[in-house]
Amino acid sequence: MSHLSMEALLALREPGVEPGDVAAREHVDGCPACRAELERLHQRAARLRALPALRPSRDLWPAVRVRQRLESRRWQQRWTGVAGFLAAASVALALFWGDVARPEPADASAEIAAARERSQVLESALEEYNPELRVIDGRTARVSQALEDRIAELDQQLEAAQLRQVQRMEEEQQEARMLQLWRERVGLLNALVDVHVTRASNVGL
Amino acid sequence: MTLTRTLPMDPYLVANADSVLAGARQGDAAALEKLFRAFESPVYTLARRICRTAEDAEDVLQETFFEVCRSIGRYRGEGSLWGWIRSIAASKALMRLRRNKYRDTDELDDAMAPSRREDTALRMDLEAALERLGETSRAVVWLHDVEGYTHEEIAVMMGRTVSFSKSQLARAHVRLRRWLGEEVHA
Repeated sequence: MSHLSMEALLALREPGVEPGDVAAREHVDGCPACRAELERLHQRAARLRALPALRPSRDLWPAVRVRQRLESRRWQQRWTGVAGFLAAASVALALFWGDVARPEPADASAEIAAARERSQVLESALEEYNPELRVIDGRTARVSQALEDRIAELDQQLEAAQLRQVQRMEEEQQEARMLQLWRERVGLLNALVDVHVTRASNVGL
Repeated sequence: MTLTRTLPMDPYLVANADSVLAGARQGDAAALEKLFRAFESPVYTLARRICRTAEDAEDVLQETFFEVCRSIGRYRGEGSLWGWIRSIAASKALMRLRRNKYRDTDELDDAMAPSRREDTALRMDLEAALERLGETSRAVVWLHDVEGYTHEEIAVMMGRTVSFSKSQLARAHVRLRRWLGEEVHA
């Protein structure tokens, strides 16, 4: 008498009925050896499930945590990069739009005065908002820091340009240069106000 | 019906499952650690039974929880939390098997040392016998007989066919039966 193969015996443990299962079941009912084999199969699986649970030899949570922190820092840096790029792009767009849309001023000095005035308005808005006392997330802090650094650089350049103007060196070019710097400063301040005030209002801070 | 290993759950997690999950989804370190503590042993056990070395199993444990921390927001509570974590762990363990391309040592032993066949009358401990199985066979045995995965699920996880999973399981049981001295057929 031929016995059932291991595959056929295993199939009898599976849910549902496959072709051949009925015949296999009938065989098992009439064959003590296959019945014993099927029983051993059940017992072996039960013994496998009863094998003791294992534990690692050391605590691996700190390693997981460190890796997770590194990953989230990398993610934040990527987003800071994107946010910084967007801020820079908005400044560039503002400057470009300013150049294209605004008619060339008859008098560069008047234009500089207007930019200076606009700068003061934006600075007052920022002062009133007082970002130093606000709680901000790391990404916003990094973007605003980058904008503030750039504004500080511009202020140095403006100071130097003003000094050269006082010395009446290449007056016309200096005026054009100052106008460009003031426009950039206004653009950056706009971006800074956007980062602090507008976004904070949007998220209800 | 296929039986699966009973998973003793951390009583704290059972009582506070919702708040722990909510915290973990927010990235709260304490909540994530609670999840790790509750499931580190079952994940490590699964990984250790599938992988050849303890080091590989530890790597799988780390990779699994790194993935859990990263993706917990995507777990919507459909199916058990352990089922979700287990599927990540099984996938990581199988990935490691593929990457390491372990040789199937039982096949090698049988092919190169026929005299070993005679030794099979010596009874082996179940754990030792399981360890001696080839990587793929052992993974199929563990996933099917212990974790309760179906052949269809195993085939998908391994990127193989259902027949492959069935034949690996049958082959593994023939070997286990022999090594454990349980042969009853003439």
